[in-house]
Amino acid sequence: MLRQVAISCFIAVLALPAVARTRPHFGGTLRVEVQGDAFESSNGLILGLLMDGLTRIGIDGNPQPALAVRWTSENNDHRWQFWLRPGVQFRNGWPLTSEAVAASLTQSCPTNCPWKAVHALGTSLVFTSDFPVPSLPSMLAENQFLIQLTDAGDGKHPPCCVGTGPFQLAQGLPLSLVANENYWGGRPFVDKVEIVTHRSVRDQWLDLSVGRADLVEVPAEELRQAQQQHLTVVSSPPVTLLALAVSDSSLLSNPNLRSAIALAVDRSALSNVIFQKQGEVTASMLPGALTGYSFLFPTDRDLNKAHEVRGGLNTPPLTLAAENNPIMQLAAQRLALNLHEAGFNVQVANAATVLHKDLALLQLTLASSQPQAALESMLRSVGVVTPVVENTPAGLYKTEREFLGTHTLIPLLYLPRAFAISGRVRDLRLSPDGSPILAGVSLEDAQ
Amino acid sequence: MKLACLIAMVIGSLTGLGAQTQNTAPSPWQQPAAALAEQAAAILGPGQAHLTIRNLSTISTDQIPSIRRLLTQELKARGVIASGAESANVLRVTLSENARERLWVAEVVEGDETRVAMVRLDPGRAQQPQSASGLTLLKQTVLATGGQVLAALEAPNGLVLVEPEEIVILVQTPDGWHEQKRVGMGQTRALTRDPRAVIYPSNDATGFEVYTPGTACTGAYQPETGWTIHCRESDDPWPIAQFIVQPDPNNGAASIKAFYNAARNYFTGVITPNVNLELPPFYTAVPFPRPAGIALLIGGIDGKVQLLESAPLKTITGTRDWGSDFAALQTGCGPGAQIIASGSGEASNDSLRAYELPAKEAIPASAPLAMDGTVTALASSHDSKSLIAIVRSATNQYEVDRVTASCN
Repeated sequence: MLRQVAISCFIAVLALPAVARTRPHFGGTLRVEVQGDAFESSNGLILGLLMDGLTRIGIDGNPQPALAVRWTSENNDHRWQFWLRPGVQFRNGWPLTSEAVAASLTQSCPTNCPWKAVHALGTSLVFTSDFPVPSLPSMLAENQFLIQLTDAGDGKHPPCCVGTGPFQLAQGLPLSLVANENYWGGRPFVDKVEIVTHRSVRDQWLDLSVGRADLVEVPAEELRQAQQQHLTVVSSPPVTLLALAVSDSSLLSNPNLRSAIALAVDRSALSNVIFQKQGEVTASMLPGALTGYSFLFPTDRDLNKAHEVRGGLNTPPLTLAAENNPIMQLAAQRLALNLHEAGFNVQVANAATVLHKDLALLQLTLASSQPQAALESMLRSVGVVTPVVENTPAGLYKTEREFLGTHTLIPLLYLPRAFAISGRVRDLRLSPDGSPILAGVSLEDAQ
Repeated sequence: MKLACLIAMVIGSLTGLGAQTQNTAPSPWQQPAAALAEQAAAILGPGQAHLTIRNLSTISTDQIPSIRRLLTQELKARGVIASGAESANVLRVTLSENARERLWVAEVVEGDETRVAMVRLDPGRAQQPQSASGLTLLKQTVLATGGQVLAALEAPNGLVLVEPEEIVILVQTPDGWHEQKRVGMGQTRALTRDPRAVIYPSNDATGFEVYTPGTACTGAYQPETGWTIHCRESDDPWPIAQFIVQPDPNNGAASIKAFYNAARNYFTGVITPNVNLELPPFYTAVPFPRPAGIALLIGGIDGKVQLLESAPLKTITGTRDWGSDFAALQTGCGPGAQIIASGSGEASNDSLRAYELPAKEAIPASAPLAMDGTVTALASSHDSKSLIAIVRSATNQYEVDRVTASCN
């Protein structure tokens, strides 16, 4: 049932932008407010506005041309060649060259890359790898691989984010971006985006209600309240995986202990109490709406079996690190309580300050709506470079099962990403990772 | 194959006459049931297994008995007898799905060991019923494609598509549309977001003229040499009244052109020949027959629909639900011609609806015709007896639809 609801939501979100009474208007300033740092690579809004990838993920989940116009693979996906879009310039007017792209990718991915080497070849890029990388075009759409200028010409690094994107950073405060008139994908509809960062959700909603903001955040746990307040909410399908990372060294090197932890977590309570039933309980890395097989990973808590598997083994106190925000700390406290009931002594700590951690509560972003690329990206984000060679449900399931069988990552909940918008905002779409596509937004009152 | 299926599907919905074909096709579950049984039997080997079925998909529950029957038959054919709960082996079948496809999963439980088999199925597609009252609009999908389409023309020698950077000629074959020629337009500047184009048949009706921001192209067809297409940089005004609903050689409407703002998505309001009247920037201008002659119906970027009949401009009421695109259709019904306007209402997809303009108010003349997405372009055919609508679906697929009308 939940799966059906999730799929319905997914379809509903996709269908939402299709509403278009008139053609979009050009002009105006879009005012955005966020809780965190807009320059974050995972959930930040800005990087994708200033820079492009070689590819982008289309609404159908498949990679589409972006800075690369076409690509081919050879040698059973061990070698890929991407041809660059001609006539594209960086913000400073320098032409986009294959050398600049290779330098950018080398800088953005020094280790654990899905390729062994990348080099320029004429107007193309060549990627080589020791293992097949069938989903490389999808992976290159991720924020991590956005292209920026890395050499200012004098051997020094240029300031942040000199890219080719639809917007350019403007001078001064507040933080604002102006439309790139010559953007290869078409000038954005709005003239300017103003972004207020580090604003609490309450203040964001207040600003929205009095007309000082056009687009504000709605955390998953606040979705119900947003609906009660009749905010216009645009919500993604589940895109953020809340998961417990378990160290397989020192105190928890015994796989039975990790297995006991996996059996002891109470996902339902986490979803119902902390996240106000807005999360999708999961024990798989990919959401059911993407694979259809997530039910094969049982989500129920089994405290008796957890005790049985632990077999009387005792551990010294464990440290559970979580991001220092109220909801993550609350979730971590809840998990610590679960584990205490299974015989573990767990102390919650701030992830930013703790030196040693045995457990960590993570938020992993679903980077792609293509299952294979999404799984590879998620594995890479926890330090596992494992190509998913067989791009079938059975192949993906096998990869997930083998990795999750180590109990070094325990998926807990899938959460949607949501934004509330003012009545001026039209055609807001969310990308596969749930971030808003501001270049496609237009304002109703612009002329 | 895909094209043929789509065309066949839409032909089924074209008439809207309620014609239903007798369903004599084999069960759609036959093949996946056989495939899953094959895999499960390979794991189990001959013997008995307790079969359970769980439905997590959108398959209607009334289909489950027939799926169970098929699975039981297919298993039996492979030596596996579906037995009661007393069996040591369990075959747990889950009918699941994801956003793209259906997925049937068999969990084969033998003692402590569980092994898994999966079969993928194409998603089912719901049929959309249509109803209409008064004048009835009818839709036929000419083409469905993954590429962006800005405009399309049904020419005698093929279907001409204007894509953002290329013109594509397709010819009809028994297997569906076949790409015959693809020519780059060679634009030197980036297209705007929401790019637009217009395409008209040439004077002899065998070729075409295309206008996109900054570029104009002509295409000509010769039986001996096929299609030749030439493009050039151009800021020339675009024809907006190439075809009129009731041609009148004396009023000059056929030569009206308008300057397009190549950096935006609308016409500047400057038209030629000069009408000695300041027009607002507009998205659409359509010639339309009125008792006093041909008038120009203008859809401004401010959302107002105005009639250029004689100075001053007359605001048309009853257009609150109109989108930015409308076109004239010579139906022969009622006054003979109607305006077909796009609109979205409260629905997620756009619709088309016919309106009549007896005075200064648009009067609905048909029920809305649901489209499968957002209408991004709407243009009358050369004889104004049909429209071509370009529709973008929620998944960014494009459809070229032919819209006609029948009198009730």
